[in-house]
Amino acid sequence: MKRDRRFKSGLVSSLNPTRYNLERWSYTIHRATGVILVGYLMAHIFETFQLGAGSTAWANTMAALHSLGPLELVGLWVVAGSALYHGGNGIRLVLNEAFGKFMGKPILPVYPFSPTSLGKNQKIAVWALTGVVLAIWMWAGAYLLAGVGVI
Amino acid sequence: MKDGSLIKESWNMVVTYATAAILVFVLTFHLLLHSPLTGKAFDATLSFGYATGNLTYYQVIFGFLLFAAVIHGFNGIRSIAIEWLHPERRTWLLNMIVFVLMAFFLAVGFVTLIVVG
Repeated sequence: MKRDRRFKSGLVSSLNPTRYNLERWSYTIHRATGVILVGYLMAHIFETFQLGAGSTAWANTMAALHSLGPLELVGLWVVAGSALYHGGNGIRLVLNEAFGKFMGKPILPVYPFSPTSLGKNQKIAVWALTGVVLAIWMWAGAYLLAGVGVI
Repeated sequence: MKDGSLIKESWNMVVTYATAAILVFVLTFHLLLHSPLTGKAFDATLSFGYATGNLTYYQVIFGFLLFAAVIHGFNGIRSIAIEWLHPERRTWLLNMIVFVLMAFFLAVGFVTLIVVG
């Protein structure tokens, strides 16, 4: 079957949340952070595998990672932020989809078709989640990049 | 299944939710072991003794973490690939590739847990 060229524009559009609502931004960031996390997961499984080879192999692995300089810790900070956002947003999605929380009551589709699923409660949930994630991410950044914040 | 998948898509969604729920708890636990709450500098949480000690003491928790992360992560990539690529008749091939990758990373991870633990 010949590939429909419309799919290509759909692919690009799916990565562009501008001109859409808050939920679309959340969706795009959720996907992007998910891909980052799977990339890290694969590397992390191989990295941890070195523990089984003994302390010398582990020291060599750590030395190789430290040779990346600040990129290593910045990379870990990005991964930490991805995990925080993906996890927090995932909890919100489960509350939405499995328990119907923050969704609003269903109404007849009357013009201008404002989605009740993106009402006040949903917006509060998204912004509250973003605020909490950013706060914890900054704390993680201070700990990883500056070595402060140890309790 | 004809498309090469092991379970129905509806069950796939249940697996996604279940592994996500497991991950919220066990991944939080894993991150806390490398967080400021340990009272250690981050570098100290990467030492050979600390890392092997954690894998030994919390072997079962790390087993759940590995299983849930691999299943949830690769199934998520599979979902994105299906939406972007529209493989249609080749969906079975995509499902098989993802299944092999899952099995490979689970094997590497569990070997590590068994050897270290």
